[in-house]
Amino acid sequence: MLVKLLKYDLKYMLKNMGIFYILSIFFAITTRILFNIDQSVMIKILGQISVGCMFSMIASVLINTMMRSWVRFRDSLYKDEAYLTHTLPVTKNDLYNSKFIQTLIFFIIGFVIIIISLFITYYSKENWAAITNYVKTITTGLNMSTAFFVTMFCIVVFLEVFNAIQCGFYGIILGHRRNNGKIAFSVLFGFIIYLVAQTIILGLVFVYGLFDSSVMELFKTATINVNVEAFKTLAILSSVLYLLIIFAMSCLCKKTLSKGVNVE
Amino acid sequence: MNNMELLEVKELNKSFDNKEILKDVNFSLTKGKIVGLLGKNGAGKTTLIKLINDLLTPTSGEILVKGKKIGVETKKIISYLPERTYLNKQMKVSEVIEYFKDFYDNFDDKKAKKLLKDLDLDINERLSKMSKGMQEKVQLVLVMSRKADLYILDEPLGGVDPATRDYILDTILSNFNEKASVIISTHLISDIERILDEVIFIDKGEIILQEDADKLRNKEKSSIDEVFRRMFKC
Repeated sequence: MLVKLLKYDLKYMLKNMGIFYILSIFFAITTRILFNIDQSVMIKILGQISVGCMFSMIASVLINTMMRSWVRFRDSLYKDEAYLTHTLPVTKNDLYNSKFIQTLIFFIIGFVIIIISLFITYYSKENWAAITNYVKTITTGLNMSTAFFVTMFCIVVFLEVFNAIQCGFYGIILGHRRNNGKIAFSVLFGFIIYLVAQTIILGLVFVYGLFDSSVMELFKTATINVNVEAFKTLAILSSVLYLLIIFAMSCLCKKTLSKGVNVE
Repeated sequence: MNNMELLEVKELNKSFDNKEILKDVNFSLTKGKIVGLLGKNGAGKTTLIKLINDLLTPTSGEILVKGKKIGVETKKIISYLPERTYLNKQMKVSEVIEYFKDFYDNFDDKKAKKLLKDLDLDINERLSKMSKGMQEKVQLVLVMSRKADLYILDEPLGGVDPATRDYILDTILSNFNEKASVIISTHLISDIERILDEVIFIDKGEIILQEDADKLRNKEKSSIDEVFRRMFKC
């Protein structure tokens, strides 16, 4: 049943997000074309408009992935559509897992679309060399490979945003257990849960620091003179902690959801 | 549990913010009955129906369908028509049929297509392009195209014209078999009276009467509609 639920959740998201993906790539292509033809004043103006549109579409991809995931979650589980969702012969776990996987997939797609759009707009041998040189400067200073740096950076950013989305899910679940002010409480609870999750992660890093002086140094010093090993440890540790928090919150969401809902 | 009992509601209570919506509701339903759940606005009909369909969580009490607590297994055998339009309006009617076919093993798509044709509904039309009444007809077709054990219809006649009401009632009757039961909640008692086997009157969250329809008519020497009007006179 999870596969069937996921099929319809993905279809819904694709219908709503597809236009942003198409426009993002469309403006990336037009920007590329306009930047590469005769540089008259008008073409330059059009090029600037096009690049502005491309960046606004990139922002839309990011913001809409988050917002649509939350709206879809709320509509499907607590608004009119819930009359169908909760009467389907599926478990509450499957309902949650479907939304979780759908968000994960569309967040990855959004990430790829942004990279493709930026690549189309700005790729040139010179730009590529400049970026790789910049990354190499950082990675050489940190004594780590470029692949490791880029991978860890992407993973931490990805997990951080995904954690924020899931905090929103849990906020919606708790907010809709109230009889009044469901939306306001959803936002409030989501925000509080996010703060609590971040505090727990920071607390656990601090506890780890008690056994690793290089990590503890990050709590003690005000200067940004990052110890190379501490940076590596922090990147890996925060990834692991985010994964644990995401897993724990997912279990909490499913447990709370399985206690039942009160659909308006 | 009696083998014939399809639905059992025991000591059911539901409160919102200390306000009791349902109070110690007890009743049972056997197979092969068409039951009218009748009461004034705000009497608790929809709350009771939503509890049976897992859309609300009871404050206390128990609901059993074929001896099983509300869950995946009971949802397989209950076909529920809510009093509102609940389908994703971005979908076409044909897509909704596929959706039901995907999730319900007892959904008969051929029957659904036939019923849609009878009601002059275009299978390729998007729900967002349809009127509210047409959307309600689509929902009714979907619900009645399942071979369920228990059909729960909340205000099925509310948004449709009198001619379609007759068609809907005939559809309910033609689907009716000895293994299934139907619960109909409505204000339009005179319209459905002819098909009812049993009535349940609910008032202020309490079941005040559960009676065989014919026995009630004979006892009161009047139609159920008149009994209802007398009992709930303002």
